[in-house]
Amino acid sequence: MMPIGPRPPAVSIDGFAGPLDLLLELVEEKRLDIFTVRLGELADGYLARVRGMDLLPADEVAAFLYVASRLVLLKARSLLPSLEPVAALDDGESEAELRQRLIEYAAVKGRATALGDRLRSGERGFHREGGTVILPPRGGSPDALAAAWARVLALTRRAPEEELEVPGERYSVEERTAEIEALVASRGSLTFATLLGDRPTLGFAIVTFIALLDLYRRAVIDITQDELFGDIRIERKAARTEGS
Amino acid sequence: MTRSVIAAALEAVLFVAERPVPRNELAKIVGAGPRAVDEALGELERAYAVTGLRLAHDGNDWQIVTAPEAAPFVAAYLGADRLRLSPAALETLAVIAYRQPTTRAEVEAIRGVNCDQTIYTLTSRRLIEERGRREAAGRPIEYGTTWEFLECFGLSSLDALPSALSPEGTLADAHSATGTTREPVPAE
Repeated sequence: MMPIGPRPPAVSIDGFAGPLDLLLELVEEKRLDIFTVRLGELADGYLARVRGMDLLPADEVAAFLYVASRLVLLKARSLLPSLEPVAALDDGESEAELRQRLIEYAAVKGRATALGDRLRSGERGFHREGGTVILPPRGGSPDALAAAWARVLALTRRAPEEELEVPGERYSVEERTAEIEALVASRGSLTFATLLGDRPTLGFAIVTFIALLDLYRRAVIDITQDELFGDIRIERKAARTEGS
Repeated sequence: MTRSVIAAALEAVLFVAERPVPRNELAKIVGAGPRAVDEALGELERAYAVTGLRLAHDGNDWQIVTAPEAAPFVAAYLGADRLRLSPAALETLAVIAYRQPTTRAEVEAIRGVNCDQTIYTLTSRRLIEERGRREAAGRPIEYGTTWEFLECFGLSSLDALPSALSPEGTLADAHSATGTTREPVPAE
């Protein structure tokens, strides 16, 4: 939407810029000098425009009416110079103050227009978006790379023999469950660490854990853990006959 | 280091920088004084004038950006959309840009209308941002423009804001009371 140039007389909500904008528009339409125009003379034109607006929200109408009231007061003064100042009406802006606001608004509008022109020209800047430069790790050097490669080669030479020792372990959850149930029955309580032993294989740990879950589900055991990541205590459930 | 060596070092650092770099940091990195850095930045700025890049700064933060003239091509490459703003938003932006840091109440006093919506729009488009609070009654939020603003309007710094034809001289007096405004000297 064009903010400048010839505009339709009606002030719509879109592109609506406020009571000062309307006042400025009147000054420009009548080719008056903003510095010398008697603002009271614009009262009639201003009121006519405000009457033409009907869809403005209440607070915006209020802003228009405020300016309208100032203009009418200024006009009344000019028609009746002898008019006594009325205190209740005079705490508002004087003509000089209103003019100053209008002049300042005109400057802002000029700047807004200049900014709008710039925006429409599309002549903008772009900065480089992040992430395109990948930094090498600190301390990295071709020698370090060669040494790392040598270590990898050494590993592959040694690995075959070790990998031949495939543990033939096979655990069944049922067997492990029976084992643990017997252990709990004889000892009363024990810890998960005890069940796992010193160096459990992954499979052994998993089977042990599933066995525990199964025992817990069947209400054979109670499980407690005092703190996060702490050892798990397993106890024989006191009255197991009641649960079943 | 000679000025050109410093300029080359600064250029390299700014090239990899993903965000504006404060002048102090630049000085520390290249091990030169602020004055030498200023001179080198000035040299870089002049050298860039004939390229597709520009050296831009917001206050003391510096960044390499593309030249405004190259914008259509960069936009085509990036598939970037053109920013559009309503006249009301432009007015609010103009007040904030020329008077920053400024408050919503000041913007509304000048425009004569409620500016909640336009300030919200400008903030959400990252053209303006909160700059802290004014030490005055109610501690109102102060607003200022962003890097995004400089980029969107193709400005290499706030000094490059277009000066309007309006009688600015009469306005400067009316608002010198705010003290910290960055009113650019109008080019007659």
